[in-house]
Formats: sequence, structure tokens, C-alpha cells
Amino acid sequence: MVVKFNNAMNADEVSALWTRTVAEAAASQSGATLTLDASDCATLGGAASALAVELRRIANERGLKLELRDPHGSLDTVFRVFPAEKFAKIETGLSGRSHSLAAQVGESTMRIWRDFVEQLAFLGEMVSGFLRLMFHPGRLRWRETLVCFERAGIDALPITLLIGFLIGLILAFMSAASLRQFGVEVYVADLIAIGLFRELGPIITSIILAGRSGSAFAAEIGTMKVNEELDALVTFGIRPAMFLAMPRVVAATLVMPVLTIFAVTAGLVGGAMVLVSMQVPPVTYLNHVTDSITLPNVLFGLGKSAVFGTLVGMVGCSHGLQTGRTADAVGRAATAAVVGSLVLITVFDGAFAVVAYFAGV
Amino acid sequence: MERKTVIEVNHVDAGYDHPVLRDVDFKVFQGEVFVVLGGSGCGKSTMLKHMIGLNPPLAGTVRLIGDNIWSGDPAERTRALRHFGVSYQSGALFGSMTLLENVLLPLECFTSLPPSARRLLALMRLEQVGLREYAGFYPADISGGMKKRAAIARALALEPEILFLDEPSAGLDPVTSAGLDRLLLELRDRHGMTMVMVTHELPSIFAVADRCVMLDRAAQGMIAQGKPAELRDYPPNDTVRRFFNRQAEGDKS
Repeated sequence: MVVKFNNAMNADEVSALWTRTVAEAAASQSGATLTLDASDCATLGGAASALAVELRRIANERGLKLELRDPHGSLDTVFRVFPAEKFAKIETGLSGRSHSLAAQVGESTMRIWRDFVEQLAFLGEMVSGFLRLMFHPGRLRWRETLVCFERAGIDALPITLLIGFLIGLILAFMSAASLRQFGVEVYVADLIAIGLFRELGPIITSIILAGRSGSAFAAEIGTMKVNEELDALVTFGIRPAMFLAMPRVVAATLVMPVLTIFAVTAGLVGGAMVLVSMQVPPVTYLNHVTDSITLPNVLFGLGKSAVFGTLVGMVGCSHGLQTGRTADAVGRAATAAVVGSLVLITVFDGAFAVVAYFAGV
Repeated sequence: MERKTVIEVNHVDAGYDHPVLRDVDFKVFQGEVFVVLGGSGCGKSTMLKHMIGLNPPLAGTVRLIGDNIWSGDPAERTRALRHFGVSYQSGALFGSMTLLENVLLPLECFTSLPPSARRLLALMRLEQVGLREYAGFYPADISGGMKKRAAIARALALEPEILFLDEPSAGLDPVTSAGLDRLLLELRDRHGMTMVMVTHELPSIFAVADRCVMLDRAAQGMIAQGKPAELRDYPPNDTVRRFFNRQAEGDKS
């Protein structure tokens, strides 16, 4: 078998030659002669060099007799720089990271454990930070907190109002369709008011906060970690969790009840539009709403939303602080912040429902 | 024998909104290592971005092997882009890919070679820069010097005629830096590759540069051009003299 190399072989020509000759060489009997002819070739290009190395590797592996026609020394140069033995195995197992199942399971377990410990440490640090702040509120970076408040709150107002309005509208339409059969569509006002204040208002707003601000907290802090800004804080003796996370968590906690009030108000306006279009007098709607909004309901809803705000802030910041040092790690941290926030919001909402049931709120 | 011109920078005004450098004009010949040097903030990297097609110059043209990289003709621009590879200052390796996958990426996008051929070729490129054994490592797992070498391997993947290097020695220890210089000279000698290097590292300049051009912020343009040793020994002006003698502004000679 003779493989002839030309001076100006392009990648397509090498590709065709590779497919043909490599298969043929691999199928050759031991002792057969494989001739690499580079007599017309002063230098070999990259792809042709790779073909020569691969054929030599196959020749060594299958016991073929290799004959070189190499008057210009081009093949010799390639084999000197790229000895075929070095490329005997080109499997994927070259990584510095383990690929076996057991090793991956072990690494994942250790990672989960480390994450858990870090989350716990972060939680402890935040709780102690909150306690200290209660006695020394001046220690909080209020300027940073107000900036976070603005970004998480005021900037989120349009989307919160829109979604709150639409939810009120949809809720009114859905419930009115059923209650109308019994001639009691006026009670839709009670349903919307209680539903929005106790459940939907805090949930919708916290989902918006998690999507907008939780991910942003993680990405901001994660990028700072990639840029070694967190290292700079540590070497100053400043704790990043307190310096960066506390203003964000406080801002998220304070902004949530405010946003919830706006979302609920927009929802009530949406519901009013539907009921008024169904000939329910606006005054009747207003009376039903004010009668059903009791102080415990309002406090329960706003308290819940403040807790959800704390959760979103803490999850976002903790994922930011635990980011790896690569760009994709920042993306993963932002995703994890949103997913983690949504899971915790749902779990805590369930817990609140149980507590409210037994407390009779 | 007249040497072939591979890069022509013709009367370029460099900058983003307003020119920081005016009327930059030079040629780079085949097989030479050409260094663009100058102090921090003088516009070296801006100039490089004009040369590799990232940002259009405010005036003038850049031709790579005859093709205008800022041509309105997309085919000509594509041809120009194929002539070169770039090794960025930070390496710019894709963090979610192994070194092998980083080098494989251009081969997968722009060649019709079978997968086994691409893989072997990528490993050969890594072997050239001494990183074959690290093929499966992720960029986060290797040192800064290794990242720079891996970036060179990726830039070499498609066998470009020209290699642009942005601050290849920045942040490296002297031994690693000298190793990188040797690698560049090997690539030039073995493949006849033309290299354009943006740097202000004097040891690297003297180790590898055949010719250089010096840019200056205050003069808003080129202030010297020639062989590094000539510029050091016979500086045409005070700025060049201070640069090659590592003198701060106001120091007496």
C-alpha cells in the first residue's frame, strides 16, 4: 500500500485520503508494506502531518513494514517533532478530573456536603449579622442598601404592577364564571382580596424578585469573585458575606412587602375591571374588599413576603459567594440562585399555610 | 530578494470614538516577528483590534495578505479572517471546555477532516506547545503560562499564516516567559509563520523581535520603527531612549 503526499494538499484532499488510507492500513495483514511517499513534498501541512503520524502509529500497532520515500526530510521532521508513540492512545481519559462513575459519585457527594456546610456557615454569619445590626443599625452600608432597594424594588415596579393586574384580572374571570351560576359573583371581590393578600401577592412578587434580583445578586457577587475582588476584601480583613450580602438581603427583605402591596393593589384593580364589566357596582366591590381585608390577613401576607424577600436575598448572595472562578460558574450560580429561591419559597409557603391553619389566622 | 508583504497598515487612525493614534503606517513581511510596543495606554491593543477585525479603524485600511479586513465585501473579510490566529492576553480559553476541546473547536467548525484526524491534529498542536499531557484539563486547572501556551495552540489549529499575540509574556515569570519566547521562535523557524506581538516586555522584545514599531500616546502616533537593538543603541528621540533604558519621566540619563 502506497500513500502519496503532495505539496499543496488542502484539508479536503487530506480528509478523503485519511478516510481511505487509514481504513486500508488498519485492515492490512501484519508484515505487509506501507509506503509513505513524500518525494514531491518539501514540507507537510498540519493535516497531512497528522495523517503521516496516524499511519505510522497504525503500522507500529499492526506490525506493518513502514517504508519512507522522503528525499526532502519532511516526513522525518514530522516524526521527530511528533513521535507516533506519543499519540498511541488518543482516548478521552486524559483529564485531570476523574471520569469513573464511583469517582464522580464521590466528588458529587463531597461537593453537596461542602455546599451544605458553606450554606450553613453563611446562614450563621447572616443571623449573627442581623442580631448585631439590630443593636448597631449604623453598621449597615445604607447607601449600598438603598441602591439595592432601588434596583430590586423601584426598577421592578412596572413588571410587578403588570403581572399583579393580570393575575387579578384572570382570577376574577375564572372565579366569576363559576360563582355567577349561583348568582353570587359579588363574592369574587372577597376571593380576590383574600387570595391576593394571603397567597398570590407574596408568591408572585417573590418569584419576580427571585428572577430579577436573586439571579442578579448571584451574578454580581460571582463576577466579583472571578475578578478577585472578594480576595481583596478578605485581605483587607472585611468579611464578604457581611460587606456584600447584608445590604442586599436587607434591601430584599424591606422591598418585598412594598412590592407586594403594589402587586395586590394592581390585582384588585384588575378584578374590579372584570366585576364592573359584569354589572357589579364599584361601591359594592369596594365594600366587599374592605370587609374581607382584615388586619391579620394583611400582616400575615406582608410578613410572609418579608420572609420570602430574605430567602431570595440570602440564596442569591450565598450562591454568588460560592461561585467558581470561571465565566460558566457565574451562569450556574445565577441559575442555582433562582431555582433555590423558588424551591425555598414553595417550602416556606407550605410551612406558613400549616402554621396559619393551627394558629387560626 | 524582495520579501513578501503580509500585513499592510495604511494610514490608520486608531481609536474608538476619537483617534488616539493618527496616521499609523507600517508593513510586516513574511516570516518576521514584528512587535508593536509602547507604554501603557498608548493604543497598542486598540491598534491590534483594528488589525484583527474586532474594531474598525477611524480612517485607513488594514490588509492581510492582500485582503482588506475592513472591506465591505463579506467574502474578502472572511478570507482575511482565515489568514491569522490570535492569542489573547488572558488566553480567552473557553472555561467549559478542556484544552483539547478548545483546540478542536476551530477544526470542527472549519475543516472537513474526520473526527479522529481532527483529534490527532489538535493533540499535535498541544504537543507543539508542550501541553499534550494536559489535553483533558480545564483552563481553570492550569497555570497562567500554560493558558497562554494553550491559547497559542488554539490559534495555530487552522495553520494560519499570521499569528497575533497580545501581551504573551505579561504576568509570567522570567523562565516561563523565556520558554514562550523560544516557542514563538520555533514556530517561526519551522513554519515560516509571521507574528505580530503587542508587548512592552523588553526581554521578550530583544529575544524574539526582528523589527518593531513604537507607538506613543503623547505624540498620538508612531514615533519609531526599526530593529529593537538599533532603537536601543540609536534612539531617534527621548521617549524611545527612556523606554529602552527603563527610565521614568523626569529621570536624568
